[in-house]
Amino acid sequence: MSGRRFAAFLVFLAILAIFNGFALWSIYLLYADGNFGLMVTMVILTLLIDLIALNPKGYPYRYMIPAMVLLFILTLYPMYYTFRTAFTNYGTGHLFTRQQSIQKLLSDYFYIPEKPQEYEFSIYIQLKDYNPTDNFITLLQSKESGELFAAPRPQAINRDATGNITLATAKMLEIKGDTFSIGGVNYSLSRSPTGSVLAIRSDTGERFVYFYSPQDQSTRPNASFYFSEIRGVWLRNAEFTDSEGNQVRLFPNSLYTTFATTERKYALRAETVFSAGRAIQETVVYNRQTGRKLVEEGGFFYDVDENGNDITVEGYISDVGFWNFVRMFRDPKISKPFFQVFGWTFTWAGLSVFFSFTIGLALAMTLNDRRLKGKKIYRTLMIIPWAVPAFISALVWRNGFFNETYGVLNRFIVQGLFGLEPIKWLNDAFWAKVSVLIVNTWLGFPYMMTVSLGALQSIPEEFYEASSIDGATRLQRFKKITFPLLMVTVAPLLVGSFAFNFNNFTGIYLVTQGGPAIVGASTPAGATDILISYTFKLAFEGRGQDFGFASAISIIIFIIVAGFSWINFKLSGSFEEVSR
Amino acid sequence: MKKLTAVLIILLVAMSFASAKLVIWSSENQIPALEKLAADFESDYGIQVEIQQVNFGDIKSKFLTAAPAGEGPDIIVGAHDWVGELAINGLIEPIPFLPDREQYYEVALDAFNYGGKLYGVPYTIEAIAIIYNKDLVFDVPKTLTELEQLALEASDDEVVGFIYTAGDFYHSAPFILGRGGYIFKETSAGQDVKDIGLSNQGAVAGGNLIKSWFDKGLIPGGPNYNLMDSLFKDGLAAFIVNGIWATPSYRDAGIDYAIIPFSEIAFDDGTTPRPFVGVQGFMINAKSSNKLEATEFVVNYIGSYEGQYGMFLGERRGTARADVFAFIEAGAGPELYDVLQFSKSASVGTPMPNVPEMASVWGAMGDALGLIINGQDTVENALSAAVEKIKTTIGN
Repeated sequence: MSGRRFAAFLVFLAILAIFNGFALWSIYLLYADGNFGLMVTMVILTLLIDLIALNPKGYPYRYMIPAMVLLFILTLYPMYYTFRTAFTNYGTGHLFTRQQSIQKLLSDYFYIPEKPQEYEFSIYIQLKDYNPTDNFITLLQSKESGELFAAPRPQAINRDATGNITLATAKMLEIKGDTFSIGGVNYSLSRSPTGSVLAIRSDTGERFVYFYSPQDQSTRPNASFYFSEIRGVWLRNAEFTDSEGNQVRLFPNSLYTTFATTERKYALRAETVFSAGRAIQETVVYNRQTGRKLVEEGGFFYDVDENGNDITVEGYISDVGFWNFVRMFRDPKISKPFFQVFGWTFTWAGLSVFFSFTIGLALAMTLNDRRLKGKKIYRTLMIIPWAVPAFISALVWRNGFFNETYGVLNRFIVQGLFGLEPIKWLNDAFWAKVSVLIVNTWLGFPYMMTVSLGALQSIPEEFYEASSIDGATRLQRFKKITFPLLMVTVAPLLVGSFAFNFNNFTGIYLVTQGGPAIVGASTPAGATDILISYTFKLAFEGRGQDFGFASAISIIIFIIVAGFSWINFKLSGSFEEVSR
Repeated sequence: MKKLTAVLIILLVAMSFASAKLVIWSSENQIPALEKLAADFESDYGIQVEIQQVNFGDIKSKFLTAAPAGEGPDIIVGAHDWVGELAINGLIEPIPFLPDREQYYEVALDAFNYGGKLYGVPYTIEAIAIIYNKDLVFDVPKTLTELEQLALEASDDEVVGFIYTAGDFYHSAPFILGRGGYIFKETSAGQDVKDIGLSNQGAVAGGNLIKSWFDKGLIPGGPNYNLMDSLFKDGLAAFIVNGIWATPSYRDAGIDYAIIPFSEIAFDDGTTPRPFVGVQGFMINAKSSNKLEATEFVVNYIGSYEGQYGMFLGERRGTARADVFAFIEAGAGPELYDVLQFSKSASVGTPMPNVPEMASVWGAMGDALGLIINGQDTVENALSAAVEKIKTTIGN
């Protein structure tokens, strides 16, 4: 191996190593995230790429890999994800897994028990070289009785993935005669002449000095250390236990300036459930205050209040099987307008293709005529509708042309030229359909013109010469030569265009938003709603977002479009026979 | 592998300690005030506050994506009608305690109330009002009938007497709700989404009034917001209905306008129209690991008198605190005319429902208003169809 090639190989290895580094990092992140499906896929992909890169036989595949990776990331994974989501209730109210919801129930919900005790507190801190350390003792004074309690620095029980303490506990110790003991070590309070506690001394010689109390303005200079190092680390999730076993925490209702008895509202307990005649042990969440177990239904945890009303507490993502698909047939808001919407979707896609193709082809043939001068100018002008962003054109059409009173069409043509009654372009079911078709044709014809132009130029001139010798008319020539030969190239594009318009959400939404409303309709389907825009309305403009349902409908739409395109390709294959 | 895991965990831990700070997503106008409060907070707490500018319109959708993954800011600024959706998703945290509670306007706190809990600290209140061009209208109408007459007098071939986005429920709501229509029944346990009052007598009366403006030719066919806006800027519209966000551009266009709050104009029976009130405020991420600090910052700093006054200086809109408003009103010069007038309008308004079911109301009522103003259906039918639609869309 020459030196140069060896250097190149080293560079190659370095690049591969960097890639593998990133891959491992992302695999680790996915692992930490609990996303095992994607993790396994990433592992397989990484191994595959390494194999191909290092194996000389895999050489040709090196050029395929980027495409394959992009195909996976941009197409296959979203498809898989959509498919999986379609069988869940993922959406508003159901964003977390059941596990996460239970976690939240156990850690985030508190109640205030009968006879709560509220304590004012102060922090005593050990100094080292005159700097505060994070070794501290909390002195709590009952607001009601004035009794004093001491709590040592709580011990971390749980930490989250990033190392923050999520639970720390300590016992509250009664102070009798200004002394108390922690784990055999005795502590005594040193008081000032006015009686306030200045410091705490242990018999081992440790000394804790008065550092901070939210009630004492004079300790404010120490607040920032307290907030960031003491509360921020230790007290934020601290749980002190008093002599009766009650839990004492920083009290939200005083904005964390006192401690108070608060209890966790929910806890787990094992319960025997009879199912199909067999006794099964099951872990259930129950309300510690009322003793009632939470009802789980439809992906929600419900609690029952004193009046017997259900209160939604937490929702989670649950598998609903084929429910989202069944809904499409059972739910009147979908089944009722389905055929109307479905029919219009076909009409819309079909007519959009028909009009833009006919106009595009006519213009292409004109531009292809040798007698026409200034072709370039015309061609450039004709491309403009294609070049202008669709949403701008759509808005210009909507506000500038179709407006009932001020629109160009009504003002100058319908009323001005013909003196007719103004047409309700966007507010009448029929005319709204005409309007969206006009706009879509306007947006679509330049594309059709461009592809037709290319196709026309590829038809050999000899065919026309031969036909003119045979005495064919222009119409005959178009029918027998131009059109069939054109179709060979253009037919697949027409199919593609049909599939595109079938799902052309923007084409509808920017002009009419699916409107106008249908008189007397009890569903939100409007006169120009196509499947995809109606789906959008149902999934995102009803009650929050319903991703599960939206996914189910997109799968159905995918099947329809795929099926239709397949038939179309079959049909367009028959044109190919003509050309042979 | 174990070593690698250990190294990675240490790295992550280090990163998390470095990031022990509050992150706020705010729109542009609140940033100067927030920066001041953040500096105070930093010196008091020793915890850094980072303010990130996000377009107001993007905050909700970005938050909905980021927050469930445990990412996202600790505090967001937002509109009160996001509360229901965010609360149901468990993404925002209730405010446990609000000092100076009695200083806040009831409507502002109601707006952020969901299921009996307060989910945000409000700072601004806004509502639409009637705006007119003083060069075209020479009298201040006291009733809507007087407004109709003045509008007719002002209109000619070029000038439109009265135009507003009638097909949009937000802009037509004052007339429908003012006559006794309601969206969801208020109950002690929140809003009852099964009891919809948009086809009751009052709503129909409001619908008839709106229809009559079109039947009389007072409002031209096919009105939309852009059209109204540009006609008014060109001095070609006498009366419009719009909010405080629009008036600076009217002043820039050189229009001599005046504002009639809905509290100062009445139906013939003496009742006043009731506009929707929109309230903006600060909300706390329920998944934040700095919940305590976030709550303290929102309640004690943003919610303070100085904080709220700072917010007002950043964007001159109606404030949520009565004491701040009183202070502003006392020293108000002509430059605060808009704020005061729109605040009066909000005082007779009702907060937009913050339940997620509201999403279906906009579409259904837009459909109904479209049918009404185009004369394609009777007011009664159109409104009861809208109620049906809302019911089927909410479902279950």
